[in-house]
Amino acid sequence: MKLPSPPWNGFPFNINFRSHARAIRLTVLVLLLGLSGYILYLDITIREAFEGRKFALPARVYGRALEVYPGLKLTPAQFVDELKAVGYHEDPAPEAAATYRYTLNGFEFTTRDFVFGDGLQAAQHLRIEFAEGKVSLLQERGSADVALPLLRVEPPLIGGIYPGHNEDRALLKLEQVPKPLIDALVSIEDRKFYSHWGIDPRGIARALYKTLSGQRIEGGSTLTQQLVKNFFLTSERTLTRKGTEVLMALLLEMHYGKDEILETYLNEIFLGQDATRAIHGFGLASHFYFDRPLERLELQEIATLVGMVKGPTVYDPRKDPELVLQRRNIVLQEMVRLEAITQAQFVEARQKPLGVIHRAPTGTSAYPAFLQLVHRQLQRDYREEDLRSEGLRIFTTLDPRVQRQAELALSQRLADIEKARKMPMQTLEGAVVVSSTQHGEILALVGGREARYAGYNRAVDALRPIGSLAKPIVFLTALEHADRYTLVTPLDDSALVLKQAGTSDWKPQNYDHKYHDQVQLRTALAHSYNVSTARLGIELGVDNILDKLPLYGIERRPPSFASSLLGAFELSPVEVAQLYQTFADGGFRTPLRAIREIVTADGRPLQRYPLNVEPVAAAAPVYLLTNALQGVVREGTAQSLGNWLPAEMNVAGKTGTTDDLRDSWFAGYTGDRVAVVWVGRDDNKPSGLTGASGAMTVWGEMMKNIEPEPLQPEVPEDVELVDVDPASGLPYDSKCSTAVVIPFIKGTAPTETTTCADVANILPTDESPVIATEVKPEVKPEVKQAPEKSWLQRLLN
Amino acid sequence: MNRYGLLFISALLLAGCASVPTQPPATYSQPETVPQEPLPPLPGEGVIVEPEPEPVKSGNPAVVALLDRAKSDSGAGNRGAAGASLERGLRIEPRNAWLWHELAQLRLASGQYAQAISLARKSISFAGGDRRLQAVNWRVIGNARVAQGDSAGAEQAFKLAAEFEPAVPAEQPETGLFGNP
Repeated sequence: MKLPSPPWNGFPFNINFRSHARAIRLTVLVLLLGLSGYILYLDITIREAFEGRKFALPARVYGRALEVYPGLKLTPAQFVDELKAVGYHEDPAPEAAATYRYTLNGFEFTTRDFVFGDGLQAAQHLRIEFAEGKVSLLQERGSADVALPLLRVEPPLIGGIYPGHNEDRALLKLEQVPKPLIDALVSIEDRKFYSHWGIDPRGIARALYKTLSGQRIEGGSTLTQQLVKNFFLTSERTLTRKGTEVLMALLLEMHYGKDEILETYLNEIFLGQDATRAIHGFGLASHFYFDRPLERLELQEIATLVGMVKGPTVYDPRKDPELVLQRRNIVLQEMVRLEAITQAQFVEARQKPLGVIHRAPTGTSAYPAFLQLVHRQLQRDYREEDLRSEGLRIFTTLDPRVQRQAELALSQRLADIEKARKMPMQTLEGAVVVSSTQHGEILALVGGREARYAGYNRAVDALRPIGSLAKPIVFLTALEHADRYTLVTPLDDSALVLKQAGTSDWKPQNYDHKYHDQVQLRTALAHSYNVSTARLGIELGVDNILDKLPLYGIERRPPSFASSLLGAFELSPVEVAQLYQTFADGGFRTPLRAIREIVTADGRPLQRYPLNVEPVAAAAPVYLLTNALQGVVREGTAQSLGNWLPAEMNVAGKTGTTDDLRDSWFAGYTGDRVAVVWVGRDDNKPSGLTGASGAMTVWGEMMKNIEPEPLQPEVPEDVELVDVDPASGLPYDSKCSTAVVIPFIKGTAPTETTTCADVANILPTDESPVIATEVKPEVKPEVKQAPEKSWLQRLLN
Repeated sequence: MNRYGLLFISALLLAGCASVPTQPPATYSQPETVPQEPLPPLPGEGVIVEPEPEPVKSGNPAVVALLDRAKSDSGAGNRGAAGASLERGLRIEPRNAWLWHELAQLRLASGQYAQAISLARKSISFAGGDRRLQAVNWRVIGNARVAQGDSAGAEQAFKLAAEFEPAVPAEQPETGLFGNP
């Protein structure tokens, strides 16, 4: 039999291959080997992608845990807010973790297991009651109720430090994901998810048929396939692409369990776009569309998100709410059909509006400014990749209640001021820092009037001249020289021209453009006289004063010019808070802290930031300074603070105003809070506000709502309180109704005495003197009117 | 063709069976700049003479509970947790001089002498007329100064401690208590 001649170049084909069949077999084998290689390549690729997502655990940042005990000032409304903020649900039988129910005088509730820095706090069944604005009873419920001295409520999660490049994420563990979400997702996207092995052949067949028959190219993807698609985001839809996707889905299912795949899916799926930022995962989408963590979404809101999976660009609730609403209701319909929800739940959910917030927040945290401060502190101590991936748990000092009042006061007051002064809206900006007096814990940090939106963090990054806020440093230095200066020492407030090397002549002016001849030291501070302060500072030595700044925790060194004594140097609001902390805390410096401790993902304490104090100024002069700063509020430049806070609060504070009314400052303290407010403009143009007409009004509004403790510092042993004649500063030789009580370091009160001017004013010696106030200075009318305006505005609104 | 199908599936399985790499145990880079916590305890540390009977350190049962917890944590050698409990107490009662004193004691026991002194001073600033508190705080300061090698300062502190509590003769800790030469 003649073999067929060589088909082409005479190569003796028949020598190596006996038949076509063998040739085909070999070709197929080569192809298969190639395919195996390709599959191996795909396998490595998909596993890398999957592992990369799966094991990156962001640091979780918590606010302070509310400590509840009988006697605590707390209302039922505040308490239930706190429970809701940590995801508690109302339940008629509150025996499951994180449930509560109202009782006649309070609540019955059950806490969760929670691992704090000092170990596990197991779930407890509790009862709480309130009376007269306080916690009146705290009990553990059981066969016999037991009084509980103290409860630490789980702290609110205030943000995270997430992995990723341009991707933001709020990573969820599967157990955190509400069951209705999983039900809805499986119902609408992939009913056979728990039984298939990565692909749904019928779905694929249907898709293939439609594609090949020229109808539109369609999905038919399982959740696993969708996940694969999301790893390698591309809108390309070809059969090759589909083939790769199918292979990868099969591979994924071989390596990982359903729960792992589902958890990754929930964290991975694309759910929207915010300018350059891709919104991945349900955790972040929940913040992005509803401004709440996923755990706190309602059924219809969950259905909305699930509905959007189909195509978040088309189903964008901000662009086409009607379409998204329809889609949501289809999801609900499907859920009720598969009996994932009851008919009643369906009917209720379907009636609800979409509820998507109008403008997306810029991050996952409601407190971007505070979180940024925390992040910066962490970056000093940790590697960035550990923060983003090791699942550290970070316990911070943020008090959401104080934060809320600080945010509200700033945004409302600035809007009110703009309206009242007919300024263009949104021209003013501001920042607030609140800390606890004795512990230096930062309770609130507001970086701008739109506190919810991350951006320029003025509380930390805005460096502004501090103006008269610097004066207490000068006065404290003076009072530390007790042999030379007391609160009543007369100071020279006459015109001053200072020639200094390296700068032009300096002629400080008072705000009222007048000179006041001789004024008592306390009066010079109360009315913030520039000239007498400058003379006092020069007398003490400019460098002697400025050299003390590091003691009070201020690292920046202002230039050695006398003008620095009047605050011609820049600090950020948080630095000013550090400065005033020492005055508020009786001369003890406590470094401001935002973090208490860090715990590893498995609950091991990693690091504590313990409370540290250092005595940097003697108690007596600081007590005198505080007394003078109380004078600022009682009778000086901050007198109109009385519109917000009662006189009994005894607030100590200082206004600050810089040249051409650019910066408006107020720094002050109560018994338990130190707070600093800055108001001005980002472009540094004049704001037209003094410290009293701008920042102080924010401070007052905020403090009024925080309900601080009155300021009653301990009288140091070496201080005595003396009744003096307010005009001369001399002690009276008898009790007199016009007397003011002034503290002196023992032995420094003037030896000369004066007689009560009017016999009618002489009091029986056993009666306490009435503290008379000095002649009140004129208060700028707009300041007085400000609260009325805001009241009127509220009415009109 | 069946054979090729098998080959295909085995290729798939081959890839699939490749073991999932086990995640390396998470390691934490200890921050370099962070102050290291407690120094190893020196013999005799934390032995502060506490006069009998126990004073009432707080009228608030919540604070009393935290003081108890701090005591048991400290007894179990967990000074970090003890400090956290005392700080919780101070957040409830920021002016409680006993809490500040306990914190000073804890820092002394941890070998953080400068902080022990500062915190004892802070306690004194809230002690008012309580001579006993003044005395125990001066004793903390004295012991911390001994450990710092400031024998003159220590002597002064112990003298003050004795002045504030003449009724209970202060057990003058021998200078050797902290291994002082």
